[in-house]
Amino acid sequence: MNWHQHPDLINQLAAEYALGTLRGLARQRFETMMHKRPDVMHTSIAWQTRLSPLLETLPEVSPHESTWLKISSRLWQRVEAEKAPWWRRLLAPPLAALVLGLMMGAVLPSLWQARNDPEKLTQLPESYVGVLATQTGKPGLIVSSLRQGITVDIKQLAAVSIADGNTLYLWTVDKAGKLSPVGPVPNKKFSSVQLPEPAEKVFFSAVELAVSIEPVGLKPASPSQPFVYRGLCGKLWRTPAT
Amino acid sequence: MSRIALGDRDALRSLYDCVGGKLLAVALRVLHNRDMAEDVLQEVFITIWNQAARHHTELAQPLAWLCVITRNRSIDMLRKNRPEVSLNWHDADGEEHSHDAPDERETPLESLLSSEAGTHLYDCLNALDGAQKQALFLAYFEGLTHSELSARMKRPLGTIKAWVRRSLMRLKVCLDTEA
Repeated sequence: MNWHQHPDLINQLAAEYALGTLRGLARQRFETMMHKRPDVMHTSIAWQTRLSPLLETLPEVSPHESTWLKISSRLWQRVEAEKAPWWRRLLAPPLAALVLGLMMGAVLPSLWQARNDPEKLTQLPESYVGVLATQTGKPGLIVSSLRQGITVDIKQLAAVSIADGNTLYLWTVDKAGKLSPVGPVPNKKFSSVQLPEPAEKVFFSAVELAVSIEPVGLKPASPSQPFVYRGLCGKLWRTPAT
Repeated sequence: MSRIALGDRDALRSLYDCVGGKLLAVALRVLHNRDMAEDVLQEVFITIWNQAARHHTELAQPLAWLCVITRNRSIDMLRKNRPEVSLNWHDADGEEHSHDAPDERETPLESLLSSEAGTHLYDCLNALDGAQKQALFLAYFEGLTHSELSARMKRPLGTIKAWVRRSLMRLKVCLDTEA
């Protein structure tokens, strides 16, 4: 039975959710539906509001000072003991981004091969392809360029919001973790940017690509904010680069 | 909440200063353990930061939402850490022991009685049968499941579920009609 089609059942579940007796998968399903359906959310809020005077009677308890420090540390890595620059810690890619990159690295060549005559496999354009994930590990950006080209094509799979006066900014990361600025990137679904040098020179040492948000017009030496996209930089050719 | 959704760290700190003590009290009420309650408070503020954008336009009363999140996280932690000890047991000498039911004088019912803001809710709660009212309070403040309520109150599970459902609906009718 689709409970969410029945207002009476929605009401009952919202009541049990507010009371705390809705547990496990049932609670997860209810929360998911709550965020999809305004009427479910409305019913849920109404129940929370009905019962909230019970909580208002509880005397406040001051949290330990260390609790806020732990929260801010977990959210923003503000640990004074950390000596490395903050972007160093970001270089270890999250598992999701790694898996995504590996999967795309495995799938993309197969797709290309499937679309081409086997005899032409060796004639595939040699390219750099970066598959970048968002901060939450979702597919975010595909960056590609011919190996000897000077144009980078960028397909944005997940948009990010950028304040006026700022732009996306592309970086390469070599295997030692060193960051090098590439240049600004438009914040739109599909764009092309010109490289100052051939891709082979810009991306040759890159094992990862990353994108931060920077003020327009500046050429930063290091990112001023955490990366909004990050992922592996693949080299799509059969023979090792020389 | 709107400012937090835009990534304003100072706004999160302001919210923490404003409601942290209240939310810690909610967690403490369920968990009865200060360290665990502080851990829950951490988790709640991480959630607020990560989900504010999802909620700030939806909630007229963010405090109610925050209290629900805090209670749910507390209950989850309680589930994870609660030892599986039966309510009644015999020790090595054959002596019978049992966990005491919480002292009802310490429930927020008494606080409600003297609370101007809670009077209406109190009246509606007071109209419920004593055992049914107790079931609601145990679920709400102690984080007990239907099964645990059944064991604690020595009533069949089906009866407890019916009590809870019926009590909530009676509460709604009372609150909505008299509001």
